[in-house]
Amino acid sequence: MSGLVVEGIEVRAGGRALVAGASFAAPAGGMTALLGPNGAGKSTLLGAVLGQRRIVAGSVAFDGVDLRALRPADRARLCAFVEQTAVTAERLTVRDVAMLGRVPFQGTWQSAPSATDDAVVSACLDDLGMTAFSSRLYHTLSGGEQQRVQMARALAQEPKLLLLDEPTSHLDIEAQLLTLDLLRRRARAGSTVVLALHDLNLAARYCDRLVAMKSGRIVADGPPAAVLTPALLLEVYGVHATILTVPGSDLPLVVYDRADSTFSPTKSG
Amino acid sequence: MARSSRLTAYLALWGLLLVSVVAAVVFGPADIAPLDAWTAIFHHLGLVAENPLPLMRDSIIWDLRLPRVLSALGMGAALALAGTVMQVMTRNPLADPYLLGLSSGAALGAVLFLLAGAALLMPIGAFLGSLGALALALSVAHLLGGATPSRAILAGICIAALASAATSLLIFWSATGGSYREILSWLMGSLGGAGWADTGMVALGLLLCAPVILASGRGLDAFAFGDDAAASLGIDIVRLRWTLLAATALLTGVMVAIGGAIGFVGLVVPHAVRLVVGSRHRLLLPMSMLVGAIFMLWTDTAARTLFDPRELPVGIVTALIGAPAFLLILLRYRRIT
Amino acid sequence: MHPAALAAVAVAALLPLPALAQTAYPLTIDNCGVSITIPAAPQRVVTIKSTATEMLLSLGLGDRIVGVGFQDGPLPDTLAAAGANLAVLADRMPAQEVVLGVEPDFIYGGWESNFSGDGVGERPSLARLGVASYVAPAACRSVVPPRLNFEAVFDEIAELGTIFDAALAAAALIDSQRADLAALVPDTRGLTAVWYSSGTRAPYVGAGTNVPAMIMDALGLDNAFGDVEDGWISASWEAVVDANPDVLVLVDSTWNSAAQKQKLLAENPITSKLDAVVNQRYLIIPFPASEAGVRNVPATIDLARQLQALSFPAP
Repeated sequence: MSGLVVEGIEVRAGGRALVAGASFAAPAGGMTALLGPNGAGKSTLLGAVLGQRRIVAGSVAFDGVDLRALRPADRARLCAFVEQTAVTAERLTVRDVAMLGRVPFQGTWQSAPSATDDAVVSACLDDLGMTAFSSRLYHTLSGGEQQRVQMARALAQEPKLLLLDEPTSHLDIEAQLLTLDLLRRRARAGSTVVLALHDLNLAARYCDRLVAMKSGRIVADGPPAAVLTPALLLEVYGVHATILTVPGSDLPLVVYDRADSTFSPTKSG
Repeated sequence: MARSSRLTAYLALWGLLLVSVVAAVVFGPADIAPLDAWTAIFHHLGLVAENPLPLMRDSIIWDLRLPRVLSALGMGAALALAGTVMQVMTRNPLADPYLLGLSSGAALGAVLFLLAGAALLMPIGAFLGSLGALALALSVAHLLGGATPSRAILAGICIAALASAATSLLIFWSATGGSYREILSWLMGSLGGAGWADTGMVALGLLLCAPVILASGRGLDAFAFGDDAAASLGIDIVRLRWTLLAATALLTGVMVAIGGAIGFVGLVVPHAVRLVVGSRHRLLLPMSMLVGAIFMLWTDTAARTLFDPRELPVGIVTALIGAPAFLLILLRYRRIT
Repeated sequence: MHPAALAAVAVAALLPLPALAQTAYPLTIDNCGVSITIPAAPQRVVTIKSTATEMLLSLGLGDRIVGVGFQDGPLPDTLAAAGANLAVLADRMPAQEVVLGVEPDFIYGGWESNFSGDGVGERPSLARLGVASYVAPAACRSVVPPRLNFEAVFDEIAELGTIFDAALAAAALIDSQRADLAALVPDTRGLTAVWYSSGTRAPYVGAGTNVPAMIMDALGLDNAFGDVEDGWISASWEAVVDANPDVLVLVDSTWNSAAQKQKLLAENPITSKLDAVVNQRYLIIPFPASEAGVRNVPATIDLARQLQALSFPAP
């Protein structure tokens, strides 16, 4: 089966389970969002998929291949990861950072980027709107700009599987939409995209599947309309909300209750 | 850096290195004409039939100055390389080759051997001492819950302090007369009396360790954002880390055994080169070696000629130059940032 | 003879001869920048370094020594018996408390640095306790003495004679040494020499202002580092090889013996080709004799004998 298939992942630390019995499938050509409050286990689960965290049970397969059993070098050519925040003490330019995405393809003694490397990196920086920043030093950028550079780096790996942890958390709305548009294009071109998101409406707008987590367990898994229900929001996030459906589609829209009033669609406001 | 400017930079550095070697051999307390000096060297190399120098002066050039100059080159390259690696491995810009207790351990080993009467075997004592300290530091890091960079540094500081205290105790307890001077000169770092055997050791150390380290340039680049990021770029971080640590420790151990704890080269040279070249390690590592070699060559030449007929330990000169240089570099960093 | 006259002669015979110059106490002298006052001939002396111990033993004052510290080697044969039962306070520097524990009234330090906080104590604080401190003049660092010569060494002997009211013994010793020195004929072969005191990677050699220069001068040897204004310096092997000395004076100390030096010189590729090393033209002097004191003159005589025994090929 193509795409990412995760079965029964369990990650333990300090005597307790950070993630338990996690199973879901992220289809190729689609975008899958991991939802859940802080501490739900989204980052841990992503780490387990990448082989960065030790698992006591479960398996991870991508296009039928056991992802965790691959050599790091082979895995890097298949799968790219964008962290929530990436800081470095090194003096690297934006282009240098993006060029890191080509490391899996470069030879040991290759001391300079090849023509292909240059072309791919230029294209990725352009896609993220970061071409003008190419010679700027990475650590002088804002959080949002750094996130976009990291994404350019990930795309430069030309991965079939893209994993992203809160890739839009520091971006303004325009940049968020641009980034999600880009990811969707990549997905439609054949990649598998899995990303952790906080914004439920954006998740519903862009993603084909939503996977909701709470306290290390997956509590819902399916298309946005099926997953986003007031009951789930209460259970997972502890918030009261009304779910509207955009007329003419099955796209759900989450409207949160304010502390002082419940949202009522009949009132004007 | 564009390809053409990279090539120019390499050519310039190699050129400067060669010119430096030619010049450094000519300097020294004994008054020997430059042309004679080099003719004598070529004679030893079998390129010239007649040796223009009489026996003693020839010995000064061939047995003293030339091996010392070459030792300085190799040592500077090795220390700069080791320093660069330590700075990126521990993600700490203040790291130097001696961070994991290597120099304190070596000092302890050397002093033990010296006070036991085996002054000529000090290099072996130093080498054993540095490896011993490293093993201890890694064990302690493991005890703290696994050898991560910050734990390794902490453990190294701890072991270094221990070794220093032990060394001070030994010195205070047993040193007499002349041995104070020997120990001090060793602690400061000195290439005094370096002969062909020392040059051979330096070359061997470099030959064994430098290629391994240079080959990890790709991996070091990937380390910029930490272990996990490097792993996701396909680097086997555990293997890389242990390989680099072993190679760096071995290299530093050999250098410390021969020259003592020569400071500032491994700290300052990587920063200086980074200011020009940036953090691309496939470029930074070889360039640091070249710059380190040239730097050490000149500081050692100064140490052995400036106060003729006295000889200073080279570590004093590297400190005198290195400390203000480091300050300048820090100021430039601030302005750029 | 009239019994009264006999009695007068007997009494005259029994009376001690008047001393050459009886010391007038209290005695105030300037020693290494500090003015010290000695109220009476010191009776309880602590000596630090061999030169101090040997000085007092040579003046017959061994019974006044209540403790010795940091001795640099065994006593010479001539003084071995006199110094056989001296109380050793420490092999290295004794602590201040240990020294004060033997209640000295005079501490004789062979090096100025002996009088420090973690040595036997600072000179002012010792003075407050009624302990006079004396630094061997040739070893004074805070007030740099002029170039050392034998007269200065004899002056030190005389000064100690005065301090201890032993001027007679001092004068006798000085006269004897002066005579020995006068009988010495300096070598006329115009030989150059390097005084190798210690060091492996960089040799610590005798320079121009202290005992090495003094002795080499008396021997008629041309000191390769004689024009450097210091007692000893840390030189380079290159400078030594460049000087190509005819003769090497090796200091024999317990931490770096003459034998070890010979081995190093022979095995070190840099020095092994030196004429002096190949032909083993070595003069050996024990360490305590290489610092200013009573052994300088006998050592010089001995070195002269060794030097005479060395043969050089006809030029």
